[in-house]
Amino acid sequence: MDGRRDDHSKIAAGSRFYARFDYRDPISYRGWKPLLRAVRLPRSDFISRLDAVPVRSRAVVSCFDAHVCRHFSHMTEPRPVHLLLGPQRPTINLVDTVAALRISNGPIAVISAGMQEAEGDIGHVQEAVGLPLSDLHLYHRAQKAFQEDTRLREAYRQRQEHLKDQQRLYRLRLKQLAIAARTLLAASGEADMLAAEQRHAIAQLRALDRHHLQRTETLHDHFEQEFGAEIQAALGRHVDEIREVVDSCQAILITGGNVAILLDRLRLFGMTRLLRQKPVVAWSAGAMALAERVVLFHDRTPQGRRDPEVLGAGCGLLPGFVFLPDARHRLLVKNRNRIELFCRRFSPELCVALDSGSALQFEGARITAAEAVRHLKRDGRLSKLRVS
Amino acid sequence: MNPSLRKLFRKGAPGSGDIEAFIRETSFPLVDGSDVTFVYRGNADAVYLRCWISGLDTAQPFQALAGTDLWATTIDLPKGSRIEYKFEVVANGNRELVLDPFNDVVAHDPFGANSVCQGFGYERPPWTETDPEARTGSIQTLHIDSKVFKDSRDVQIYLPARFRSTQRYPLLIVHDGPDYLHYAALSTVLDNLIQALEIPKMIVAMIQSPDRLKEYGGDDRHAAFIAEELLPFMTERFSLIDEPAARGLMGASFGGVASLHAAWQYPELFGRLLLQSGSFAFSDIGRHKRGPVFDSVARFMNAFREAPGLPANKIYMSCGIYESLIYENRSLVPRLQAQGIDVRFEEARDAHNWENWRDRLRNGLPWLFPGPLWMVYE
Repeated sequence: MDGRRDDHSKIAAGSRFYARFDYRDPISYRGWKPLLRAVRLPRSDFISRLDAVPVRSRAVVSCFDAHVCRHFSHMTEPRPVHLLLGPQRPTINLVDTVAALRISNGPIAVISAGMQEAEGDIGHVQEAVGLPLSDLHLYHRAQKAFQEDTRLREAYRQRQEHLKDQQRLYRLRLKQLAIAARTLLAASGEADMLAAEQRHAIAQLRALDRHHLQRTETLHDHFEQEFGAEIQAALGRHVDEIREVVDSCQAILITGGNVAILLDRLRLFGMTRLLRQKPVVAWSAGAMALAERVVLFHDRTPQGRRDPEVLGAGCGLLPGFVFLPDARHRLLVKNRNRIELFCRRFSPELCVALDSGSALQFEGARITAAEAVRHLKRDGRLSKLRVS
Repeated sequence: MNPSLRKLFRKGAPGSGDIEAFIRETSFPLVDGSDVTFVYRGNADAVYLRCWISGLDTAQPFQALAGTDLWATTIDLPKGSRIEYKFEVVANGNRELVLDPFNDVVAHDPFGANSVCQGFGYERPPWTETDPEARTGSIQTLHIDSKVFKDSRDVQIYLPARFRSTQRYPLLIVHDGPDYLHYAALSTVLDNLIQALEIPKMIVAMIQSPDRLKEYGGDDRHAAFIAEELLPFMTERFSLIDEPAARGLMGASFGGVASLHAAWQYPELFGRLLLQSGSFAFSDIGRHKRGPVFDSVARFMNAFREAPGLPANKIYMSCGIYESLIYENRSLVPRLQAQGIDVRFEEARDAHNWENWRDRLRNGLPWLFPGPLWMVYE
């Protein structure tokens, strides 16, 4: 039974409230029934959307989001705009998009922790935005704190080693499952039989992804529970300083860089709450970190193509989406087999390609504007994301 | 006849002015698909192409082109090939090896220089050339007193750009390191691959032996020098990641043998090996036929083939298919794989030279030491 639930439980995302449930479980479904009635969404369509069956899936996503937001907006807090961009090279669209947020006199807080040693080297951003910027120095603050507290540093190093090991073990299992799923997607045979095997192969991948996500969260939780007092002692002063700076700023910019480092620092300094309170402009790794889970991908490394990997939980500000910066260069976009698997594996989340020059604006979890943004489709293609 | 030469000779033997114009306006050697024509101009009794390619005649004769002082010879060179060559000019009873006077592309090695023929489809990889946007690492020279060799040796250390003494780095020890620097652009390649995030920032220790044919040929003293002297020396001075996967040995030719031998003598110490055109001479029965300098190599390789153990977890090997060592290298791969070692073997349409080894580095280094490219989204 557990296995079955694992296979079919979904995260109904794309709305401001979401829940883990099993759509085949009548009890679970009953809880959603009034909601579905309210949004005039038949159960079959709802299931289609959650199972990422291609028929009208995108339309259903939009329809679902729009209706949910309209009917249930009273249940949620209003949230500031979140603006996601592709890489700022070669096309820089930061200037126009920031202008659209109508931030006239700054200052703007900057998180450039993903740039690691180069953190704070944001002259080019300053030049583009033309407003006073204040880097929060999350990377260096943590480095400094670890230098001062050797016990915490050692514990943190061990936690990092555990995370690395967990990722390695996950990769071992992932490799075989992904090969099987890709082979099945390319196989021929009796349609129903094949579809059942494909679904099951993908379900196994999804179960592994969920398991890995759970394991990484457990490692984080253990560290935070065991060393909560030390973390508070070492970083508490910094957290207060950061809050003060953010309070005095009109928005927060998050640059690209190493997404693992960025996520780590956002978590260490408890940044999610602050990111909910201010308009956020984020690009590349910054955009990835705002999703519910972060998916690493690159089909063109010198070692050859790799299968996408869940790195861990993101800030969860924008549930229902997986963001893929620079997908044009990193993905083999013409390989329909790989794109189809990518799309189906992470469904119901919408896999959104954020190439240079693209911009995606959210109010709450609803998309209000999209420029040059594409999403991965179940038919193995990429198509333009249209905002209803 | 090559189309350009045919055009030159379409009205019979060309005059001196036409030949000079032809030479001025043409790139040499003449590459026409897989046909490559080498041209020499001058008075001589005979001219030969010398390109030291296993499978081709050592000396390929040129034909005198009637009514002129031009000489030409054509060879069939498969797509993507790159070869190094010289002309042997015989005149007045003297034989002289010279560079191709019409070809500016030259490769250097410790013995001098050779002309380079870039066959159809070969392009020098851009990551082997200086990228003005890439931050450059620094190189410092340290001295190590060796009890094993009872002398003092220089070690050149590459430190990546933005090196921090507080951070921990992988270590790569490179045999014939200074030659890799001079003839295979190692420093540039490291800068570029680090900049492109294809390899992590790493520390590279480059060593050179005063008697490499002896010390690199399966000499236990050399293995002890690496494992018991150089590694502790580096660990004492730099913050290194203390795990086999972050320690590598690299070398070409006899340097490949030295790398494999040291890793074999000290198993589980080095997790990564990069072996290029390794001189892995062995004999299944009787004596090997490579000359006395290979005696110690064959002794080691025969022992190694008998009991390979687990010298490393990942081994990248490359070899040119125009060198005779391709046989030994191909033979070694299944033996290593049978031990459960993750082996990547690459064959190149090139020979036993530094630019062949340079051109393979991007396939080897990032595979052995993957960089943060996977994690970075700028």
